[in-house]
Amino acid sequence: MTAPAELSPELRAVLENGLNKTALTCLHCPSRILNPSVGTFVQQEFSLPSMTKQKDEIQDEKHELREFWKVKDMFHFENVGFSNTVDGVKYLTCADCEMGPIGWHDLVTKENFIAVSRVRNS
Amino acid sequence: MAKTYDYLFKLLLIGDSGVGKTCVLFRFSEDAFNTSFISTIGIDFKIRTIEMDGKKIKLQIWDTAGQERFRTITTAYYRGAMGIMLVYDITNEKSFENIKNWIRNIEENASADVSKERGEQLAVEYGIKFMETSAKGSINVEEAFYTLARDIKAKTEKKLEASNPPKGGHQLKPAEPQRKPTNWLSRCSLL
Repeated sequence: MTAPAELSPELRAVLENGLNKTALTCLHCPSRILNPSVGTFVQQEFSLPSMTKQKDEIQDEKHELREFWKVKDMFHFENVGFSNTVDGVKYLTCADCEMGPIGWHDLVTKENFIAVSRVRNS
Repeated sequence: MAKTYDYLFKLLLIGDSGVGKTCVLFRFSEDAFNTSFISTIGIDFKIRTIEMDGKKIKLQIWDTAGQERFRTITTAYYRGAMGIMLVYDITNEKSFENIKNWIRNIEENASADVSKERGEQLAVEYGIKFMETSAKGSINVEEAFYTLARDIKAKTEKKLEASNPPKGGHQLKPAEPQRKPTNWLSRCSLL
């Protein structure tokens, strides 16, 4: 399976057969979130609250994101945190430094989505 | 997709507020990124992966943050728990005395899956072990989790063996002392 043509070279570099080619780690600390080839690349729109640090003023700022790694079963993660439920959604965080939201958990389908831009490929 | 782990253990962290339970779930509390959004809504649970004797073990760990008083922790909270780690602060006498109340609360609310003996054993044994070792170095936090996971693993395997006796000709390898500690707990300072 080849990556769709409209994908950026950066994105294509981290894709293999539609899955994450390398392990996904936190942007802020070395915590491993997902092993290689566990997340399926999907394109869909979802707004996630900003990851801005506490000292920053802007709150409740949302970012419309389009590229995610879908993880079907929460126990396929290596290390991850689940927030309390807000408006029917659980947000995902780094299990170690709690940076987030790095993605979200769908309480109905039980599927998990990690924002491609909010984790590191390593 | 193939199963990516061998065991799944559900653990609870219980103890008075301020004893460092959150620290057990954090890697570096001082280095926490902790966005305003996440700290406002709070963490429900975490999934951690450890390896033991060549088996991949997923730990699902709940913290009692926000419901730290034992009276507020009821049956629903204990449902499905396979291990409970009681945490107290060695510099806080009250938090240690309260361990007894926590054990009583577990007895009253936990299902038959967690027997009185087991609850007591886990709470007292691991509570004390944790206390004894935390002064020496933070690595012991990790040790406590490994011990708890090892205990559950041994129990699970015993159950499996009983219901599914091994066939002849299959030699079990002795457990290697292969300890490859992950580092997610080792840098947690609890004092």
